[in-house]
Amino acid sequence: MKKMIWSIAWKNIWRNRVRSLVVIVAVVLGIMGGMLMIGFMNGLIEQRIDASIHNEISHVQIHEPEFMNNEEIEYTINNYDKIKNILDTLNGVVAYTARSKTFAMVQSDWSTTGLVIKGVNLEKEKQVSDLSNFIIEGDFLENESRLPSIVIGSKAAEELKLLNYQIEDNKMAAIDSLQIPAETTAKLDSLPLKRYRTEKQFSKALAAVLNEHEMKQFGKQLINYFSFYRLGAKVTVTISDTAQIMVPITFRVTGIYKTSNDMFDGMTAFVLENAVLKETGFGKDFIHEIAILTTNNEEGVLVAKELQRSLPNYSVLSWKQIAPDLAYMSDMMEFMDFIYVGIIMLALAFGIINTMLMAVLERAKELGMLMAIGMNKMRVFSMIMLESVFLTLTGAIVGMGASALIFALLARSGINLSMWSEGFEAMGYSAIIYPVVSAGNYINIILLVILTGILASIWPARKALKMNPAEALRTE
Amino acid sequence: MKVIEIKNVEKIYNDSEVKVHAVNGVSLDFEQGEFAAIVGPSGSGKTTLLNMLGGLDNPTTGTIIIGGKEINELKGSKLIDFRLHNIGFVFQSYNLIPVLTAKENVEFIMQMQGVSYKERSKRTIELLEAVGLGERIDSRPARLSGGQQQRVAVARALASKPKFVLADEPTANLDSKSTENLLDIMEKLNREENITFIFSTHDARVVKKARRVITVEDGKVISDVRKE
Ligand SMILES: Nc1ncnc2c1ncn2[C@@H]1O[C@H](COP(=O)(O)OP(=O)(O)OP(=O)(O)O)[C@@H](O)[C@H]1O
Ligand SMILES: [Mg+2]
Repeated sequence: MKKMIWSIAWKNIWRNRVRSLVVIVAVVLGIMGGMLMIGFMNGLIEQRIDASIHNEISHVQIHEPEFMNNEEIEYTINNYDKIKNILDTLNGVVAYTARSKTFAMVQSDWSTTGLVIKGVNLEKEKQVSDLSNFIIEGDFLENESRLPSIVIGSKAAEELKLLNYQIEDNKMAAIDSLQIPAETTAKLDSLPLKRYRTEKQFSKALAAVLNEHEMKQFGKQLINYFSFYRLGAKVTVTISDTAQIMVPITFRVTGIYKTSNDMFDGMTAFVLENAVLKETGFGKDFIHEIAILTTNNEEGVLVAKELQRSLPNYSVLSWKQIAPDLAYMSDMMEFMDFIYVGIIMLALAFGIINTMLMAVLERAKELGMLMAIGMNKMRVFSMIMLESVFLTLTGAIVGMGASALIFALLARSGINLSMWSEGFEAMGYSAIIYPVVSAGNYINIILLVILTGILASIWPARKALKMNPAEALRTE
Repeated sequence: MKVIEIKNVEKIYNDSEVKVHAVNGVSLDFEQGEFAAIVGPSGSGKTTLLNMLGGLDNPTTGTIIIGGKEINELKGSKLIDFRLHNIGFVFQSYNLIPVLTAKENVEFIMQMQGVSYKERSKRTIELLEAVGLGERIDSRPARLSGGQQQRVAVARALASKPKFVLADEPTANLDSKSTENLLDIMEKLNREENITFIFSTHDARVVKKARRVITVEDGKVISDVRKE
């Protein structure tokens, strides 16, 4: 019996092809819009979370509990050897590393800024963190000269005025590659071959020789082209030693990194662990932080719980606790996906209700006949409900197929937002988004679509059930 | 054996200001195996009477007893189920489900009754052959003539093994040849299978075939003639 009603419902949809197709196309477009939106948002958030985990915070961090309240350098982890033993045997741990972490004033010849100095073990650090892949100038602590090396972020370099601007002969010689009209580039010859320490100064100098239109069109490009980091510059890092006396240590900037998070880039510097130890007199247990990489994000939360149990005297935090904003985003993501599709389906529901209402009213006589010959209310209701669900589901399946196709095409190239990337990167998001849609998203959408189909059929179905078969059959 | 007893049935419509006495004190009995025509001018109350007999409409006063069961007491789904199992219907038009084939239309009613696949397949073919449509079982209604559609409706009405078949002007939309054909089939089923048919009509040729003719006027039975 059920099969028959399903088949009647499916066939009924195609009685008014054009009208049904209009609804189906609307659902297809709505679902595609929703899916692309979800894919985009999920991609954005997942990339942000992954970038944070792999460049900045890793999955799990261990600290001395006091260090969490008060980041003083004396709160070190003293049992590293014991913790190492646990980590070496714990399931889910991919790699780990220990770091010293001190807040210090950093001074270049031109400016001063406060930075978190992480003393790292190069080999282990590279297993846990991807940061060494984000070096844009120099290298990641690979080479040591007479002075110890320090790697800083691009933003910190700017603050320290180590990002300079200068019209140089060799750059002028190759300026054709910018594809800027020669008459514009010719004007640059009149600029003094002077070094500018800030973007503002250089921009002002450019504005003096270029007209407003040229500035607007080529200004940014020229500023970028003539900019350079002063790799090899000396900076003085002031750290307090064992006796609480401030010790200045001179480092040479040997690398600049740039991640998609400007805030991190402006805050964090890296040196080799022994570089700090040598000058401050701290022992080999000068460790404030153990960072752990696990097999995946969910595993990180479990590993953190497990570790806290075996290390009750330490603070063990998962990435969700270290960066509650990320955890919140990750948790909200699924909920928001529901909301987007929910709103779209709500809008579509009105179209579906309208179509189903027309379908019911124009078939009044036929429905009257069906009830007269013995089709009960349950069956009439199911038939109309199934029509509505089929109509919606057909559109949804086509829409999801089309979206899946688009995602497959975008999987390689991503969606490039570099046009607006400056703003995005300032907020910690990357410029190329790879849309992500999970199987869970598809299942949720299907459920939501079926629910919409059912809800949209209630009113039309009630209209049908209220009909009196005798009267329905009488009307001409 | 009495299949239907109608006792002092009245139907008053008063949805507008005027009260319409569509059926005005009718008492009638129908026996198993009758072939009865209800005739009368337009507006005389034929459809109203048939609708009440079929449990599609409630009498204002009076009782209708079908197979010993007082049907005014049935409500909602119980009434629909009663119709499904006891009464066969043939309407003037819109008899069939347009998206189903002739065979599926006949089968549908047996599926609702819960008849097994094997039995209903067999019965469907038998019935469609009995109404002369053995060749057209897979055609949809739109590809059948009006007369053929009404024959499918008769087969469908019989599929549920009802106590009787009600047909409100079944030939009104048919040409004379199709009318004759349909009547012959109904008559044959009546004679050979002892199936009770009660139908209303305007058509004199249809009246001629009936073995009982009930004439109504202004909601009253003015004559009830049995031919033998
Ligand atoms: N729902 C209704 N509301 C009000 N009056 C109605 C309703 N249905 C029928 N009537 C009236 O009841 C009377 C009997 O109608 P009915 O349809 O039973 O006549 P009929 O004999 O079947 O006519 P016809 O031969 O034209 O089909 C008519 O006067 C009709 O206008
Ligand atoms: Mg009538």
